[in-house]
Amino acid sequence: MSPLVISAWSATSPFGVGADPFRAGLEAGRSAVEPVDRETHPGPFEQAALVPEFTAARYVGKKGTRTMDRVTALAVTTVGGLVKDLTDELAAHPEQTGLVLGTGSGSVQSIMDFTRDSLVGERPYHVDPARFPNTVMNRAAGQGAIWHRIKGPNTTVAGGTLTGLLALSYAVRLLRGGHCGRVLCGAAEEYSTQRAWLEWHGRAEEERDTPLGEGSAVFLVESAEAAEAAGRTALAAIGAVRFRACAEPEGAATARRTLADCVRGALDAAGVGPENVRAVLPLAGGGPLATQEAAAVRDALGEARPRWTRLRDLVGDTSAAATSLQLAAALAESGDRGLAPGEAALITGVDRDGMVGCAVLTGAGARR
Amino acid sequence: MVYDDGQPPRRVVITGLGTVTSIGLGAPAFLAGLRTGRSGVKPITTFDTTGFAHANGCEVADFDPREWIHRIDTTELGRATQFSVAAAGMAVADAGLTPQELGERRVLVSVGTTDAESGDLDGLARTQLDEGPERWAPGVVRRAQAGRLSSAVVRELGLVDVEALTIPTACAAGNYAIGSGFDAIRSGEVEAALCGGADAVCRKTFAGFYRLGTIAPEVCQPFDKDRKGILTGEGAGVLLLESLESARARGARIYAEVLGYGLNCDAHHPVAPDQDSLARCMEVAHRNAGVKAEDVDFISAHGTGTRANDVTEAGAIRQVFDTPPPTISIKSMIGHSMGAASALAAAACALAITEDFIPPTVNHRETDPECALDCVPNEARAARLDVVQNNALAFAGNNAVLILGRVREAA
Repeated sequence: MSPLVISAWSATSPFGVGADPFRAGLEAGRSAVEPVDRETHPGPFEQAALVPEFTAARYVGKKGTRTMDRVTALAVTTVGGLVKDLTDELAAHPEQTGLVLGTGSGSVQSIMDFTRDSLVGERPYHVDPARFPNTVMNRAAGQGAIWHRIKGPNTTVAGGTLTGLLALSYAVRLLRGGHCGRVLCGAAEEYSTQRAWLEWHGRAEEERDTPLGEGSAVFLVESAEAAEAAGRTALAAIGAVRFRACAEPEGAATARRTLADCVRGALDAAGVGPENVRAVLPLAGGGPLATQEAAAVRDALGEARPRWTRLRDLVGDTSAAATSLQLAAALAESGDRGLAPGEAALITGVDRDGMVGCAVLTGAGARR
Repeated sequence: MVYDDGQPPRRVVITGLGTVTSIGLGAPAFLAGLRTGRSGVKPITTFDTTGFAHANGCEVADFDPREWIHRIDTTELGRATQFSVAAAGMAVADAGLTPQELGERRVLVSVGTTDAESGDLDGLARTQLDEGPERWAPGVVRRAQAGRLSSAVVRELGLVDVEALTIPTACAAGNYAIGSGFDAIRSGEVEAALCGGADAVCRKTFAGFYRLGTIAPEVCQPFDKDRKGILTGEGAGVLLLESLESARARGARIYAEVLGYGLNCDAHHPVAPDQDSLARCMEVAHRNAGVKAEDVDFISAHGTGTRANDVTEAGAIRQVFDTPPPTISIKSMIGHSMGAASALAAAACALAITEDFIPPTVNHRETDPECALDCVPNEARAARLDVVQNNALAFAGNNAVLILGRVREAA
């Protein structure tokens, strides 16, 4: 089978809707973190990085979006940014395109609002049936499929901050298994008061103040052969996506050794030497884990001196969307033609639950 | 097909089963329940059911997490994650492996779910109303994430070279997770997979289904003309998968072979199933597994016991099968265990193949002529089974069909 490549991408981020504002914000190194409107967003944070003026009505349309929650609208919008170039393929063979979307735990706002209605209503079943599907975690992927008529495998993936890497790994497995011809794959996360409180309580003390971000990134993954047949430029080949677990998740010190092993394994599998890695895009989560993450990458890369991009400094903590947005940043940095032959980008993540992961993207070779 | 390492696809077999259900903990108890048509239904105790006119469910009683979970402090795990971790441990032991032996292999852990720890989110919503969100317990917040369902399995077993994947594709998630494990072993990407699904009864989901009018007042009666809906249930099913070569090399007992699976999406309606699309999913699964419809000896249906599901599913089956084989629903016994449902049904299919019987559809009085299927009413039936099909449907039009078979000698 020919190598799997990313041949298009789309992002909805605190820099705006679409790949262009994302690239521009990244290039300028501009922080999108701003004071939050405390009326609309009560909660523990005074600052956040929100997608500017984003609403379902504005970006998805007024019709049929009355009950659409924010994470679903972010996902539907981002997928929409890619399907405009797939119109013919989707019309001819809708079942040949899969959609794999990562989430933290769905929309915790939708879920907890629904429970609240059950608790405060006159009867415990006085809940809005139209909003029940929003409380199920595959809602965003399902609406993405309905909105854009995507009838192939439709899968929701979760795994904390590693979610975007897991979605990519799952998509690769789906394609290698022959379950469809191309996959739209990525993750989405919304800003909400409930998520803000959950993050606040879930974090260690030293990470408490990192502002939250939100957004979504989605990639078109297919074989190099399929991309070429469709006239799409292979922006990067997926060299490897790898994961490992820390033997002692509580001790951050083990994260360094575990991630270093993970990166070495991924570089080996991708057939890439440390000197080929030109860009490193870490999760950079803050606190001791971020220090361990950086040290692990230096351990694995040795003398190499790649460019480091810490997206989190610009768009805040985007939780389940973080590693997808890091992947998008790697592509944004490499420009319209993608990664050059012999060039590689390394995307890493460390999760609080003791899992680590990384992806190696490489130049896809043939340039047109 | 040839994979990148130049090897043909590996054959994939099930060598371990872990089951946490309302009719018994562990594969032997689950098997006994399936054979005798035991029912797990009783009044719900997980949340305060005041104000609901009826609130039966299929909860897992007598589950002490400390009996099954040894490395992790069980208070760090929500109820669904406790089920997931317990079932994974059972599957490893059932396969005749120690966690250390498994830890020497490259492993995929994939766990499907509908609600993950929404039960904890229910509790936090209550606290928020009474005392404010400032008063939430950090330990409950940390455990209330979907990713824990798989990462806690990794921690408990001390796995190292491992991917922890949670698949929240609602009520078809178990089949999705098993499918991903199948692909990973088939291609040689991993040497073992622990895959299945887990869920716990919660207020949020009960209230939602109740509001839709789909909760049965007493019992679940799939395909019966007087069926009245679902009963929410809970539990976990985890399968240990490895290559046939690996199983033979270590002399492992083999329950069944995973022949293949199919996925598709209706892309039509958020909650109502689509007959044509489901029929296509079965065909995709048959093609992927290299079987024909007439090879299938019995179908473990999604069979929720709602009007919409059962008629649509029966219609799709008749569309694909000239003569539909016996078609049963274990939801009649264990209720709808959501993300665990198709994983537990897959475990039931594996046991059925090994033990030569078809589990019954209990609580059955008269088959709905609109369904017109042989649902093996009330009593298990002896049968030699070579190929079985396990259906799963989910909200959002997500269909997943898994095909298992008896291991044959010839490749």
